[in-house]
Amino acid sequence: MREAFSSSLVRLALADPAVLLLTGDHGYALFDQFRQKCPNQYINAGIAEQNMVGMAAGLARLGFRPFVYGLAAFIPIRVVEQIKLDIAHDGLPVVLLGDGAGFVYSHLGTSHQSTEDIACTRAIPGLEVLSPADRFEMQASMNYAAVARRPVYLRMGKADRGDVHSAPLASFQPGALLKVCDGRRDQPGLIATGSMVSTAMTVAEVFDLNVWSAPMLKPLDADHVCTASLESNGIVTLEEHSVMGGLGSAVSEILSEKNPTKVIRIGVQDRFSLHCGSYDYLLEEHKLTIKHVLQSIASLSESLSA
Amino acid sequence: MSSQENERPKLAFSPHALRRTVLEMAYAGSTVHIACAFSIIELLAVLYRGHLRYPDNQPDSDNRDYLVLSKGHGVMAQYACMRELGWINDSHITNYFKDGSELKGLSDSRIRGLEVTSGSLGHGFSVGVGLAFGLMRKETDQKVYVIVGDGEINEGPVWEGALFASHHGLGNLMVIVDQNGFQAMGSTDEVISLGDIAAKFDAFGFDVLSIDGHDEEAIDTGIRNLWQTPSSRPKALIAKTVKGKGVSFMEANNRWHYTRLNPDTYAQATGELDQARHLS
Repeated sequence: MREAFSSSLVRLALADPAVLLLTGDHGYALFDQFRQKCPNQYINAGIAEQNMVGMAAGLARLGFRPFVYGLAAFIPIRVVEQIKLDIAHDGLPVVLLGDGAGFVYSHLGTSHQSTEDIACTRAIPGLEVLSPADRFEMQASMNYAAVARRPVYLRMGKADRGDVHSAPLASFQPGALLKVCDGRRDQPGLIATGSMVSTAMTVAEVFDLNVWSAPMLKPLDADHVCTASLESNGIVTLEEHSVMGGLGSAVSEILSEKNPTKVIRIGVQDRFSLHCGSYDYLLEEHKLTIKHVLQSIASLSESLSA
Repeated sequence: MSSQENERPKLAFSPHALRRTVLEMAYAGSTVHIACAFSIIELLAVLYRGHLRYPDNQPDSDNRDYLVLSKGHGVMAQYACMRELGWINDSHITNYFKDGSELKGLSDSRIRGLEVTSGSLGHGFSVGVGLAFGLMRKETDQKVYVIVGDGEINEGPVWEGALFASHHGLGNLMVIVDQNGFQAMGSTDEVISLGDIAAKFDAFGFDVLSIDGHDEEAIDTGIRNLWQTPSSRPKALIAKTVKGKGVSFMEANNRWHYTRLNPDTYAQATGELDQARHLS
């Protein structure tokens, strides 16, 4: 998935000299290819994210197409106000790339972990939010971001969880849910995003469940969400992000209005990580492992059939 | 740009008229921030009169120079200039702050002629650095002026942007510091001492000039001299100003950051301005 990300960047930059990659002194090996093939379009803005995002607004005003890269803990979290005021307020075509979202930096602690970025960006008017799950969704997301001509936040979380699709996406309709597992209609349906799609698929095999991937969280197609709820018995959302303001909230907002449905939100509770450890260890601490998700689904399934 | 003289209508931008417009707006809308506008009147007058290039008098021309009012609190001074340029009209002035009116109390980029949405401080500077960097990449001779308040440079992104501008040799960028000595809650010395602002910009790699920010000739010469300095360093014009300049009871009186005009103070202020003009 990271390869899909960096090669997409190179492809877009070679195709359009107005594309500029701005990084806040991050992404060392990730941009080797970019620096080699498009050295003049690579700008290390230093450890100065606020200025970098403000500058991106200035560059976009002149017709450049800035892609602004940082860890999700910094882009967007550190610069929410610059995104709101300098970029989104005028709908400038800037692509914000937040890497390492969720618990990727499991050993480094809270400063490098990001479980509130979707909530913050979703609430900014006119800012779209992408959250690809695998290399195919990444490729489609990057292509979409490049042609969207409006502000986009692309969230990149744990990137080595394997493919959830078997081939490149034939099309990319903004806000669409992509069905990745076909299961029973009398069981809960799972809607997951990013790293949690593969978890959802593993769990779905056990219970024979429907699973949809949500590569785009804003906009989120209300008809698709309603259809998912009609094809399932209750909905479970899964995300490596707070249960407040992310995918679970977006799905609940739609269903509570359009097709009231029991929704269980699996994600990060209202707390920071306590301990340091491997990525899997952190998922365990936050009860986001396959084992925990299996338990949640089993109890929901039980309560729904009771 | 050799044809520059033909591109802008010959306008006076008289500081007296500009301050009168600010008072008119502030009284009509019962607004604050009068003193913030008064300290940059001469700076804006000189910039619009002789430096900023707007081909065909179009505020959104692709070939314009950029004036970024990072200290958005002074926006009424810019509105006053825009009225003279014909970019806004008298009804904008008389209807200021009426329900549904376009012009806001702080700079808003959706108004033709204003480049950024500011007022949250320290934003415009970075946008200006991005503009200067982009114009340099496009190899045009367009220039970027960013007006920051001295209080505003408490903000960290200003110094992040200064580092970037210096590192990349943005010789097309001029930051103008409106050094009026006050910020919202008191004097800059009381709140956060800035020390020697000129020395700070010099240390960050700028060509620096300090001038009296109400002396139009000094401003004009200062800007020309900075641009003519043969270096690729970004420029900083440190303009020593008086907050509330032009009306005795507003000058260096920080209450006029917040105070609204009443019929008495309006009459007194306009009277003083008119009298000063007759004496000059």
